Order: sequence, then C-alpha cells, then structure tokens
Amino acid sequence: MKTASRILGTAFFVEGFEVQDAPRYGAERRGAPIFAYVRASRNSVNERGIIRRPDLIIVADETLVRIPGAGVMCGATERTVLLVSTGETAMVWGERLSFSGPVIPLPLVAESEDRLEARYIGAACAGAAARLVGDISREALERAIRDELASRGEKVVRRNLDQALEAYDLMAAHAGCVAQGEEVSPEAYKKPDWIDLPFEGARLSAPVIHGAATSEGVRTGLWRTMRPVIDYGQCNRCWWVCSTLCPDGTICVNEEGYPQLDYEHCKGCMICVAQCPSHAIRAVPEHEAASDEAGSAASRPSSEGGRS
Amino acid sequence: MPDTKFHRKKDLPSTHLLGTGTPMCAGCGGLEAVHEIYDILGEKTVFVNAAGCMTLLSVYPFTPFRGSWLYTSMASAAAGAQGVRDALDILLAKGRITPEEDLQVVVLAGDGSTYGMGLSAASSAIERGLDFIYICYDNEGYGNTGQQSSDATPHGARTATSRGSRGFPGYKKDLFSIWTAHKPAYAATAVGAEPLDLARKIEKAGDLKGPRLILTLAPCPTGWDYNPRESVEIGKLAVKTGLWPLKEYIDGKVVHTHIPTQRLPVEEYLKRQGRFAHLFAPERNEAILSELQAMVDTYWEEVSTGLESGGKGSCKEGSK
Amino acid sequence: MKRTLLTGNGAAAWGARLARVEYVPAFPITPQTEIIETLSKWIDNGEMDCRMVTLESEHSMMTAAGAAAVAGVRVFTATSSQGLLYALEMLYTVAGWRVPFVLVNVSRGLSAPITLEPDHNDILAARDSGFLQIHCSTCQEVLDSTLIAYRLAEHERVRLPVIVNMDGFYLSFTREPVEIMDTEAAGRFIGSYDPENIQFRASMPISQAVAVIGGSPYSYFRYETHLAAMNGLGVYDEIAEEFTRTFGRSYEAVEAYRTEDAEFVFFMIGSFATKARDAVDRLREAGWAVGLLRPRLLRPFPEDHIRRALAGKRGVAVIDQNISMGKGGVLYMELASALCGQGKTAPVLVSFIGGLGGRDINLEEFYEIASVTRKAADEGRVPPPRLLYTAEELKEVRKLQAIAQVERRELGGR
Repeated sequence: MKTASRILGTAFFVEGFEVQDAPRYGAERRGAPIFAYVRASRNSVNERGIIRRPDLIIVADETLVRIPGAGVMCGATERTVLLVSTGETAMVWGERLSFSGPVIPLPLVAESEDRLEARYIGAACAGAAARLVGDISREALERAIRDELASRGEKVVRRNLDQALEAYDLMAAHAGCVAQGEEVSPEAYKKPDWIDLPFEGARLSAPVIHGAATSEGVRTGLWRTMRPVIDYGQCNRCWWVCSTLCPDGTICVNEEGYPQLDYEHCKGCMICVAQCPSHAIRAVPEHEAASDEAGSAASRPSSEGGRS
Repeated sequence: MPDTKFHRKKDLPSTHLLGTGTPMCAGCGGLEAVHEIYDILGEKTVFVNAAGCMTLLSVYPFTPFRGSWLYTSMASAAAGAQGVRDALDILLAKGRITPEEDLQVVVLAGDGSTYGMGLSAASSAIERGLDFIYICYDNEGYGNTGQQSSDATPHGARTATSRGSRGFPGYKKDLFSIWTAHKPAYAATAVGAEPLDLARKIEKAGDLKGPRLILTLAPCPTGWDYNPRESVEIGKLAVKTGLWPLKEYIDGKVVHTHIPTQRLPVEEYLKRQGRFAHLFAPERNEAILSELQAMVDTYWEEVSTGLESGGKGSCKEGSK
Repeated sequence: MKRTLLTGNGAAAWGARLARVEYVPAFPITPQTEIIETLSKWIDNGEMDCRMVTLESEHSMMTAAGAAAVAGVRVFTATSSQGLLYALEMLYTVAGWRVPFVLVNVSRGLSAPITLEPDHNDILAARDSGFLQIHCSTCQEVLDSTLIAYRLAEHERVRLPVIVNMDGFYLSFTREPVEIMDTEAAGRFIGSYDPENIQFRASMPISQAVAVIGGSPYSYFRYETHLAAMNGLGVYDEIAEEFTRTFGRSYEAVEAYRTEDAEFVFFMIGSFATKARDAVDRLREAGWAVGLLRPRLLRPFPEDHIRRALAGKRGVAVIDQNISMGKGGVLYMELASALCGQGKTAPVLVSFIGGLGGRDINLEEFYEIASVTRKAADEGRVPPPRLLYTAEELKEVRKLQAIAQVERRELGGR
C-alpha cells in the first residue's frame, strides 16, 4: 500500500500537482493492516495527517472493512468514491456498508490462492485510482511506476505496469468521477467539543492494565489470508507438534487428544501446515473458507461488517 | 537423564498460557520461544521488558500476560529487574507479602538491547548475583525498527543498514561467552523449534537461584525475508547445520545438549532466507560462503577436541 | 530532637532516615556521594532497616528506583548533574509510571566543560519530566523538605516522584545548624507507604507502563500526569502547613522576604538567596524598599503565589544561576510567562545571569543589580540580560589562556 500510494502520488506530481503522500505505521508488523494516504492539489498542500474528508477511498483488501480499528470508511460522505478490490458487486457493498456514495468494484485477478501473494494489487489499485481522478494520463502513470519500482528490475516493473494499465483502462467508464472536495468553512463549522479534562487519581490514570490476557479481545484471526484446516482423519495425535509450535498458542489439545484451532486468533502463518508430521493440515484460502462458513452457519450474531 | 518433567515431547504442555491476540508478526520465532517459555515458567512471574519487538506484546489496554509485566527502557531492563526483585525481597522480609505472593523476575529483551546497550545493566546485575532469569530473543538485528544491523547480526547478512553485495561486514558477537565469563548460576542457548530441549532448560533455570540467562534464536520472517511457514524449519536448520549450538553453562562448565552428528552444510540454512540471497545470486559468493562454513567447522572441531580431552564443551548424555 | 551541625548531604541522609526509606539504589557522583556513604554506614550498623544497592549507572539507578516503587516499597535515591542527565530518559519514564519516591539532587554545573561546582542547569533540565521540584536554601531546609517531599509524592492527588534540590558545595559540603526532629514524631508525620493499586503480587496480575498507541489515549495519560503535578500546589500548601504545626518551621511554596512594601524584588532560587537576604537588609538600611522572592516549589510552578507577591511592584531582578543557550535565564522566562497579561501595572523584569559553575555573586553585585533594576523601572527601558562577569575575571582567564597557549596556536605557531 505504501508503494501504491507513492505510485499515485508520483503520478499526480508528474502531472504538475503539489503532492503529499505517506504510509501510516503502527509498529511494522507482517500481516497487520496498513494504510497510506495521498493529497494532491494545484496549490501547495498545507494540511497534514490522516485525511478526514476523503474524496476517494481505495480498499485493496476487502476483509479490512470488517475491522473497526482499520477505520476504512472513516470520514466518508455520499460524495466520497469507494474503490474496492473485490469479487462482489457495487450493490452488495453499498448495502453492506449502508453507503450511498458511488462504489466501484475493481475485479480481482486471481494470481494465487493466497491474497497475500497478490503482489500487483497495489499497482492495480493505483492504476484504477489514477483513472478515477481524471487528471492523470496513462503516460504519467507509466512514468510513476517506472520511477517508484526502478530498483526492482525490469521484469518486476513490466508486471506492475501491465496490471496498472489494465486497471487504468478498465476504469474508462468512471474516468474523472472523483472530484476535489471542499474544506470546512470558518463560517459554518461544527464547534470542537472541548472539555476541561477532569483530574483522575493514579488509580485510574496510570498506564496500567489491571487484568490478565485482555489481548484475547483482539481478533488477530482477521489478519489471515490462508486458513489452516485440520483433517482429523489424518491426524494421529502425535505429541502435538502443531500445538507446541504455533507461535501464538492458538492450538490447544482437547481431552481426546485432538488439536483445536482458535480461528478468532490464528494469523495464518502456516507453521502448523508445514510441520504436521502426518500432513493432516491443509491451507485453504481464507475468503473461500469464510464464505463457506457464512453459507453453512445459521443466523449468527454478526459483530462484523458495517460501520462501528 | 537428570530429573526433569520433560522426558518426551508428549510431556510438553498442550494448553497454552500466554494470551492470543498479540500484534507479533505471523510466524514470529521469538513469540514461539516466549509462548513455550511462559507455559513452563507460569503466571507467578513478572516479565520486565526492554524496548524491542516484544514491547508491543502489551499495548493499552491489551496484554497477553496472565502474570505481570513491566516495560522499562531499551538499556535498563536488568536494572528494572533489580528494583523489582529487591522490593519483593524487602516486602517478604517485612511480612508485607506472603511467600505465595512472590514472583519470579524475568527480563525479556531482544538482541538489540542484550548485545548492545543493555549489556552493561545485565553485566552488573549478573555480577551482583541478582536472582532473576534473563531471556534474550535473538533475531539478529534491530527488528522493531525495520531490521537494521545490531551486534548480533551475522557476517554477510543483508539488513536495512547493510544492503551491499557482501552484506553485513561485521561478525556476530559471542554473547554466550561474555555471559559465561561472569560465571552466572546458569546460561543456555535454545530455539523454539526444539521445544523439548528448550523446555528442559527453562525448567532447570526455573529451579535454580541467581542469574540465569537464556539466549534463544528467533527466526524472523519479516527481518530475514522468508515465508512465515518456514520459521520452525529454519530454526531446526540452524541447529542441524551447527550454526546455532545448543548448549548450557552449568556448574562452571559449558556442556552441549546436542551435538549434530552429520552437520548439514550451512548453505542449507542460508539459502532459505532472503537476507542471504545475495550470496547465491546473481553469483555464488564462494568467499563468504566458505568463510561461514569454516567458522562453523572450527567451532565444532574445538568442541570435539574439548570432548576428547575432557575439557570445555562436553556433551550431555541422552540429548534430544 | 537535637540541634547539631550537619552538611547538606548529612541533612539529606537524615531526611531519608527519618522518612524510613526501605530501598536506596545508588551511584556515586560529586558532590552527592556523602549522602549514600552516610546511609550505607547506618545500614551496615543496623541503624537503618533499609537495603542499598549500587547500580552501574544513574540510568540504571533511576530504573531500579522506579521499579522498586512500582513493586510497592518506599524508595530514596540521590544524584547530581551528569548523573541526573544520564538518567533523564528514566526521569520522564518513571514519572509516567505514576509512582512516588524522592530523589535528592545536588546541583552541579554541566559539562562541557566539565566542572564540579554548582549551578542550576542540571535540575532545570528535569523541569518538564513530571518530577515535582523543591529547592532548598539551607541545610535545615534540605532535611525538612525531604520529609515534606515524601508526603507530597505519596499523596493520592499527586502520586509523582519529587526532587529535593540543594546546591553542591555551598550546601552539600557546608555545615550549618540543623535540628533533627524526634524519630517518632517524624515517623508519625511520614506514615507508612501505601502502594495504592500499583504493586506486584502473584494474586493480582498487572501489566505496568505499557505502550500506548494513538494520540488521544497518549494525551490522556500525559495530561493526567500534568493535572496531578498541578495538584501539587494545593497539596504542598496543606502539607507545609501541617509541617509548621508539627515542627514549627515554615515552608511556604514561595518564600517572601520583606516583599510587602517593596518596590523592587530579587527573584531567585537556591542557597545564594540567603546572600540576597543580606543584601535586602543592607539596602533597606540605606533607604531602599527592596525584598526577596524565592520559590521553594518550582514544579508545579506556584504562579498564583508569585503573581500576588509581585502585584504592584515596580521592578523585579531575576537572578538566574543557569543559562539556556541561545535564549537566556530559565527563571526569567518562567516568570515572564506568569506575569504576562497582568496589565500595565506589572513590574519590569530585568534578567541577570551569574553563579555558573559556582561563581560567586557578591554583595556589591547585588547592590548594582538593584540599582540597574531601579533605573530600568524609572526609565521604562529594560536593558538586555546581564551576564555577570568582571574585567578582572576576564584578565584572569587571559592568563589561563596564555598558559594554555591559546594565542600561540591562533598565530599559527608550533
């Protein structure tokens, strides 16, 4: 996503815009959600930080929309254009998010089962976005990709270019649908809700967690792009390789000696798949496994999906 | 076989104590070791942490610990351990807490802290005979900031600050020897990929008093550039190639808990990791590859010479 | 209760002893070392039920201090200058842990060039850290302030560590009469340590000092620390009053000496303020209306006390024994911000910087400072800050430079 934002930023820059782009980090974590932002203007860009009123939201990983912390739809209004890399339709997304603005699906190219392997999705998103904003020419897009990816070698550049230009062309019908939004006016703004923060003693206000294992409330299972599935027919209840070697401790062994996977927290590292001595665990693409689950589950209270 | 609960792999814990939901990378070799260690040391512990990847185990309001935790700074976790241990001893001596309320004090630090700025605090803590366990998860670089080279980085590795065609020009510091020169109560190397060996060592450390130091290799998919599913395999290869010796320092002597009988060539380990890719392509760097192999060969020659003469580096019976 | 001659270091040690501190992580540094040597002797003799550990650096020492406090015991430690700065990272850190303990800082000028004698740059470097600060001008005040500091730190509306500051050499190694109060009375005043809900126990899992990601939650913790520090104003007044009732000696947040009818006021902290008192007395004898305002509490900054004391004054001579390179005196800046917006009747502020590295400020200089301040008030024109230095002093430095062959090198000699 960092590269995608830089491709888009550079493309704007090539077209003569003033640009500001940046990735947003927590600590660097492989598998954790990441986002980036781009501001482009004919005048100098003075605003900073997270974009509060996006004109265009680009979602490369549709599963992130379900994570409240990811804040994907934060600040969106009915003017905001939502570009989603997805196999589903605009209508489905609109309903799912209760979003009345334009939704533009970017059809997925299934290069591999594991979406984490979708290397070129960034380029595709950047290419599509470039067309949607209307001011970026094909040439500028190509130049941006060459600039940003030069160090990776011609083969990599070529592949990214192909993906980006294909997406660019695919978006022809929506060219220029993204319009530059207006900033908030000093004549009609919502007053900030300032308070005088009340003093609270150290019993409350020290940075202390008075409890055990509160981390279990964090559903790191949402990081997964591949899901390990145990074939209990093959499992021969060894010494439990999988249970011991799972770094996150998501595999516990039940009374009968069979390993049980905690899918709320499994990050999909696939160590268990690689290490199982009887090859009883296989890797299934998460989006397939999840939709299988959704299909076969009866009414299940959904704490996922929609705005939070 | 001396007294141990862990005779066979089936004796290893099958339910796990450390909470899930932490933000460590998928496939983190450091977390692998920590979760195995926590199963054995248990919740009557206070983990005193130095800045590094594991600092993010606890991010308000989330913590995976069922026992206690204190984050200090990058350089002074061992000094923090000193303060906590001394305070608990004072409270015990004065009867302000009962012995059941006591906690084992455990430092958790990465190689960045341990091999570098934390070495002074650790050295002094060991010298004072502090009763604590020190766990270093070694991913051979400053991982949390993007894998810049540290004093633990091996020769030839690519890091964020050694991207040239020959990789890191320095050599990995021999921390184990520095530790053992202090004559601590116990020291050991381990790796999460060898959980039985690790479990026995942690169990042993847990039963002793005084400074007990554990150095675990932490294969790092993000920093070493490989698919996370390989983390255990790479840990095993580190042992099988002889690059990561499994040993302990106990009763004044270094004893290997495993001597690889037919060592695999170090290449088998190196070629699985992107951080060594430049040693193989576009051309093989024979100079560095043979140097790395020679270093490992020399180490094990000295070990076996030591065995013959009954000196340093003898092997335990019934290893693995 | 006995009155005896004690150095400032000795008084600090007595303060820790009477406060029944339980743990002293230590590291030696001039001019503080006598404090820990004294405590060590008492511990070895069995006169103090306390544990002392020498760490290998002040950064580690401060970590151990905070860690023992979060584990639930009463902690004392001491340092100076380079040691305080080496620990600076941990000063901010342990304050954020929200635990009480007392640190005695014996002020000493900062490297480079390295020196041993006092000024206030070290202690002022810590002013943003979250530690509260009490500044002493006599050895008696050092002992008394240490006891007050424990009450202040441990108060439920504060729960922050406190630094008690004294000047190196002028107080630390100088004996003055000090009344050591009765142990039981001190014990009653201090009470026993209450860890509240911050401690380590097997039955109560707790994750302390955890990372906080996000500007809003981080701001909450930082603002609350500030609000707690601000509470220190009211809490200090209560405790100081209780101290006066119990032991008879008075320690208001700001010492106001002959300021009520003064036109001009000296404003300074630390031991040299007693010199200013003398100057005030002599100037008054010569017909001046002069007074001295000495903040004891510097963090939190006792703004109301100061505004009230200086309301209607014509001129304030701010004497800084510190320098912020590229700006000037720190007390001057803090006072200016406190008096800003107080209307046209606010006094003129005139800045004087001296006493660096223990340089003396003599009586003549105080008289001249008063004179310059009066002139500024009369003319409505404030001169630029005066760096206190004489022609004679420069001549002496030239001699030293000659020995150091400074000129010769400049001329390109060998």
